[in-house]
Amino acid sequence: MKVTLRFTVALLAFGWGAAIAAEPSVTISAPEDGATLDVMEQNQIAYSVTPGPKGDHVHVYVDDAEVDILRSLEGSYTLPSLEPGQRNLCIKVVNRAHVPIGVEDCVNVTVE
Amino acid sequence: MENLTYSLVQIVHNFGAAGVVGGSVFALWPVPQAPSTLRRLAWLVMFSWTAQIVSGIGFGLTSLYFYGLLPDIHGTAVIALGIKIAAAVTGLVIISLYLGRLGAWTDVQRMRLWSVTASLAVIALTAAAVLRWYS
Repeated sequence: MKVTLRFTVALLAFGWGAAIAAEPSVTISAPEDGATLDVMEQNQIAYSVTPGPKGDHVHVYVDDAEVDILRSLEGSYTLPSLEPGQRNLCIKVVNRAHVPIGVEDCVNVTVE
Repeated sequence: MENLTYSLVQIVHNFGAAGVVGGSVFALWPVPQAPSTLRRLAWLVMFSWTAQIVSGIGFGLTSLYFYGLLPDIHGTAVIALGIKIAAAVTGLVIISLYLGRLGAWTDVQRMRLWSVTASLAVIALTAAAVLRWYS
């Protein structure tokens, strides 16, 4: 009986912990929002992602246009050549069908 | 519910793919089939192409229902999807014509038609693999 109770408590605790761990999120650590990027540089976007139960991988967007797919949930990605001006960079979590599930992080940058 | 819906659509899509490739190839290989068997295979292939098209639309509708968005694909994936759709629609039209005029085909025409159908099935399946990994 004690063993069963311990097992149940452990299972519940694990489930609760897993639920917390699975909270979906995206964090863009670089560039910072409002940063200025050099048009001549190979600019990178650094990120970390927790896809959550409905997410599978992430897509990268420049000005709302998808530019690539990232299957790694943490790392950096070299952006394609960016046109000078204000640019909006986003990383969105998508499901297996490649549909954005509403979990994303975006930064606005100036390319000069 | 979302995973269940996607799974059900995927099941129809997978069996559709198996039907178009298996049915078309078996019509020709290991030996060309008799006209009566070809007629049955043609129904299988027509049903399978229809399943492919309907379930393909089903993926989009499922995404629209749960997220209000269609899948986000770009570049090579869009080209692969276009090829897949073109192959499926062409395959369905050809096999429908075949069934609609069963008595009108000579043996040579019949084998050519099945070769085209099998090629379209292989093209669609290949495009599906590209679509899967480029999106």
